[in-house]
Amino acid sequence: MDKGRENPQHRWLSFAGEPVDDNTILIQRTLRSGQKVHYDGNIVIIGDINPGAEVVATGNIIVMGAVRGVVHAGAGGNEKAMVLAFRLEPTQLRIAGHITRPPDGQSSKPEQPEVARIKNGVVTIEIFNGERQG
Amino acid sequence: MGEVIVVTSGKGGVGKTTTTANLGAGLATHGHRVVLVDADIGLRNLDVVLGLENRIVYDITDVTGGHCRLRQALIKDKRFEGLFLLPAAQTKDKTAVSPDQMKALCEELKQEFDYVIIDCPAGIEQGFRNAIAGADKAIVVTTPEVAAVRDADRIIGLLEAAELRDPRLIINRIRPRMVRHGDMMSIEDIIDILAIDLLGVVPEDEMVVISTNRGEPVVQDERSRSGQAYRNIVRRIKGEAVPMMNLDEGGFVSRFLRRMIGLS
Repeated sequence: MDKGRENPQHRWLSFAGEPVDDNTILIQRTLRSGQKVHYDGNIVIIGDINPGAEVVATGNIIVMGAVRGVVHAGAGGNEKAMVLAFRLEPTQLRIAGHITRPPDGQSSKPEQPEVARIKNGVVTIEIFNGERQG
Repeated sequence: MGEVIVVTSGKGGVGKTTTTANLGAGLATHGHRVVLVDADIGLRNLDVVLGLENRIVYDITDVTGGHCRLRQALIKDKRFEGLFLLPAAQTKDKTAVSPDQMKALCEELKQEFDYVIIDCPAGIEQGFRNAIAGADKAIVVTTPEVAAVRDADRIIGLLEAAELRDPRLIINRIRPRMVRHGDMMSIEDIIDILAIDLLGVVPEDEMVVISTNRGEPVVQDERSRSGQAYRNIVRRIKGEAVPMMNLDEGGFVSRFLRRMIGLS
């Protein structure tokens, strides 16, 4: 990582008047059982998060694949963080201090990309329709 | 020079040893020189499955420890021309061999044999690290159970970390009828999670239990479906393109009925 990125003044670039967070890593592989990624920022994964794998980010987690393991977005307490995935079927999903798991018994197979975030103090999962979140 | 293939799974009891024995016997019947290495030191089984237990004099730790020559420890299987076994020690533990010693041993065996097949112990500790140390390729065995698939996934991650790329998968003990009724994971479910190449599928078969207890690999049983599955896998290892076996067996009646109502 270059020096400029560590300087907090450079962490926020301006793009069309909106702040852009450049503190993001890209992971281009499937995380398998027993593998763990922890990052201070956003995580984008091209691949799956398999059962038994763990992904923790202080920012958002975006998965171009299936989430079957444990994901934790906003791990520093950021309640605006979200988890977005092509197939969101996690073992457990955490955002900031909220811990959720899928309902017992029924196994739903999501057909569309979904996004999980906190709405009115509750973790809510909705179909991702491409709209800008926030 | 031959190639070293490790047969591994993570979970115990999914059929690593049975697979190793059958692949070895199968490759030998195709005229290859094959040595099977039992890396499960302290819990040796491969000799029993092959029916060679009573012929062990020296074992793998005698070879790595320099107590005998490699040639002395190799047991020739008289039923299969070209098949040899390097047995594990039963009175020692996994620390009796180091990864470097295994690497050197595999290098030596590769000079003489077309295939060196290593039967890996269950687990991810030193026994596993020893078994994969000298391997060129890996075969991951799993059964259609959530726990076995989970462990296989962990093992694939560890193999990748050890630079053993592109392992191939054998799904063992599948029961097509249970899969059809939605009571067992299907081949597609397993591939969906593990995302590696499928080398073959072995159906659940009582003949495996019978042949294992007799010390006769089922691969030589012309009538059994599991034997056919292993023979197909052997040909795929040799590089032949063999189509996947149709697992929807059923009896004659159900096959007939399904044809009548247009399902097949």
